[in-house]
Amino acid sequence: MRLRELPRTTSFRLAVFFLLLFGGASSALFGVLYVQMQGFLVARVDEWLLRERTDLSRYSPEELRTRLEARALVDPSLERAMAVFDPAGRRLDGTELPAPATISAWDVPFDFAIALNGKRETYRGLARRLETGDTLLIAQSLHETDEFNEALVQAMLIGGALTIVLALGGAVFVGIGAVRRLDAVTLAIRKIVAGDLSNRLPTRGTLDDVDRLIHVVNGMLEEIDRLMREVKGVCDNIAHDLRTPLTRLLGGLERVRRHDPSKEEYGLAVDDAIAETKGILKTFAALLRISEVEDGARRSGFVSVDLAAIVQDAVDFYEPLADEKQIALSLSGQPVRLPLMGDASLLFEAVGNLLDNAIKFTPPGGHVRVTLFSCATAVGVAVADDGPGIPPAEWEAVLRRFYRTEKSRSTPGSGLGLSLVAGIAGLHGMELVLADNEPGCRITLSKAPDA
Amino acid sequence: MTRVLVVEDDTATARELCAALEDHGFEVDLAADGKGGLLKAATGGYDAIILDRMLPGELDGLGILSTLRAVGVEVPVLIVSALSAVDERVRGLKAGGDDYLVKPVEFVELTARVEALLRRRTTPARASRLQVGDLDLDLITHQVTRAGRPLDLLPREYELLEYLMRQAGQVVTRTMLFEEVWKYHYPESSNVIDVHISKLRRKIDPEGASPMIQTIRGAGYILNAAS
Repeated sequence: MRLRELPRTTSFRLAVFFLLLFGGASSALFGVLYVQMQGFLVARVDEWLLRERTDLSRYSPEELRTRLEARALVDPSLERAMAVFDPAGRRLDGTELPAPATISAWDVPFDFAIALNGKRETYRGLARRLETGDTLLIAQSLHETDEFNEALVQAMLIGGALTIVLALGGAVFVGIGAVRRLDAVTLAIRKIVAGDLSNRLPTRGTLDDVDRLIHVVNGMLEEIDRLMREVKGVCDNIAHDLRTPLTRLLGGLERVRRHDPSKEEYGLAVDDAIAETKGILKTFAALLRISEVEDGARRSGFVSVDLAAIVQDAVDFYEPLADEKQIALSLSGQPVRLPLMGDASLLFEAVGNLLDNAIKFTPPGGHVRVTLFSCATAVGVAVADDGPGIPPAEWEAVLRRFYRTEKSRSTPGSGLGLSLVAGIAGLHGMELVLADNEPGCRITLSKAPDA
Repeated sequence: MTRVLVVEDDTATARELCAALEDHGFEVDLAADGKGGLLKAATGGYDAIILDRMLPGELDGLGILSTLRAVGVEVPVLIVSALSAVDERVRGLKAGGDDYLVKPVEFVELTARVEALLRRRTTPARASRLQVGDLDLDLITHQVTRAGRPLDLLPREYELLEYLMRQAGQVVTRTMLFEEVWKYHYPESSNVIDVHISKLRRKIDPEGASPMIQTIRGAGYILNAAS
C-alpha cells in the first residue's frame, strides 16, 4: 500500500470534502449561537441598568447619596456597582469602584474598562449627570459573561479539533480500505491478464455497490473463460478430427506409391484419396458454416417465413429415408401457419439436421414424431424419437462442435450437426432444448411468438 | 464450340476455373477486372458468362450484370461469390443472374450448372411435353408414361423427374436437384437425395430394365434414354 496514493482515492477525497462541509456548517452554527448569546446577555445587563436608573431617578441628589451609602454598606460587592462621582472623578458615595477614564455616552448603556487590584476588568454601565453636577454610575461587571464566552470558544475549538482529527482518521481509514480493495482487485486482474483465467475478483460479500460491480465483472470472466475453453476444445477437436482422415489419406497414398500398382488400382487409390479429401473439405465447410451462422450477419436477410410449411417440407424430404429404415416418421399438432422472421433455408437445414439425427439413431421399427406447436408463450417444433436417447449429462456437451456420444461414434457423421442447429436457433432467437423422451430423445426448437 | 467468358480477378481461382471448363470442352476466355469483363461480355458473343461477384475497382460483378441486362445482352450468367447469405443470392438473381454459386466452387457443380444454363436457352420454355426415349411427361396434365404405361408419381417425384428430363443427357448434381425441386439453398450433405432418386428409379424403370437415371460417381445423376 502506497500512502501517497491515499489522497487520490475517491473515498478519501469524499471524506475530506464532507469534513470541510461539516466544518463550515458547524462554524456558521457556532457563530450564530455566539452572537445570539452575546446579545441576550447584554440585553439582560441593559435591562437591569435601565430599571435601576428609573428607580433611582425618583430621588433627590441628597436622598440618592444616602441610599447609595446604605446600599454600599449592605452590599459592598463590586459585581453590581452604584456610585456617585464628583466632576473631578472622585467617588463621593456608593460602591468602591474607581471612576471610568471616559464616559462615552450619557443615559445609555456603554462598555468601559477599569483597573481593579492591578487587573483589567470590563464593565457595562450607565452614567447620569445629576443636578448637582455630580455623576451617578450604575455598572455591572462583565467578568462572568467574558468567562462564559471564553468557555464557549474553547469548547468550540476543542470540539472542532476533535472533529477534524476524527474525520481525517476516518478518511484515512476509508481511503486505506479503498486502496487495499483496489490493490486486491488490481492484483487479481493482473493474474487474469497473465493467463490465470480461472481467477476471480475478490468480493467482500457485503453486496455494496463495488461488490455488485465485481459480481458483474466476475460473470463476464466466467463467460470469457467458458468461451476460451470452448475455443480450445474446438481447436483440439479440429486437430484430432482432421488428423484421422489426413493420416488415412497419407497412408493410402504411400501404399499406392510402394506397391507399383496397375492402372486400375492406381485409379482406385486416387478415387479413395479424392473421397477422403472431400470428407475433410466437408468438415471444414461445416465448421465455416457454423461460424457464418453464429456471426449473425445473415439476420439482415430475414423475412417472414412459415415454419409450419418449412417443417412440412423437411418431413416430406426425409420421409423416403425413414421409409427405407422402416421408421415411422409422423408430423402432428400442426398449426396451419406458423409465421416468424427468419431464413427459410437455415430453418429447413436445422429441422433437417434434427430429422437426420433422429432417423440415424433410431433403430428399424422405431418412431420419429415431429410436433408443431403454437401457444401464447411459445411457437416452435419438437422432434422426438424412441431411439437410445442422449444421457442427460451429455445434453450440454452434444451442442459443442465435434462432440459425439459413445454410442454415436460408430455411425458416420461429423459431430457438427447439433452445433449448427444450435447456431441457427441462436440466430433466430430460438431456444434449443434437449429432453428425455423416455425412451429416446426429444429436441425442441422454440421461441416467443413474434410480436 | 461453346464459348464461355470467366470474369475473375484472383489468378489462381481463374486458372482452376478455366482449366475445369476447358477440360469439359468449352472454349474459355478470361477477364481479370470489371471493365475488361464488361467490354468482353458485351461484344464477345459468348454462350455463357461466369461472373465473380466481387471484383476490384468501381465495377463489381453486379454492376457488370445490370449494365449487360440494361443494354439487352441476354447471355446466361452464373454468379460465383464468397457471399452466401440468402439476400446476397436474391440480389444477384434480381440483377439479372441466372444462377448463383457460393465459393469454393466444386468443378462438377460448375460445369453441370453451365450446361444447365446453356440447355435452358436452347429448349423452348413453352413446350407442353418432355420426351426422353420412351419416357413421356405432359407438362400440362402432369401425366407421366413409360412406354405408354402411366406412372403414379408423387408431386415431388414429378418435379424431380421433370428437372432431370429437362437436363437429359447432362450431369445434374445433388445440390442442383435440391435447389431446383425443394427450393431451399444450403449445402445439403445428407444422402437423402439418393433415396429420393432410387425411389423414383423404382417407379420409372420396369423390372429388369437398365435404369434410365444413372449415378455419376462423385458428381450426381444423368438421365439418358434407355438403351
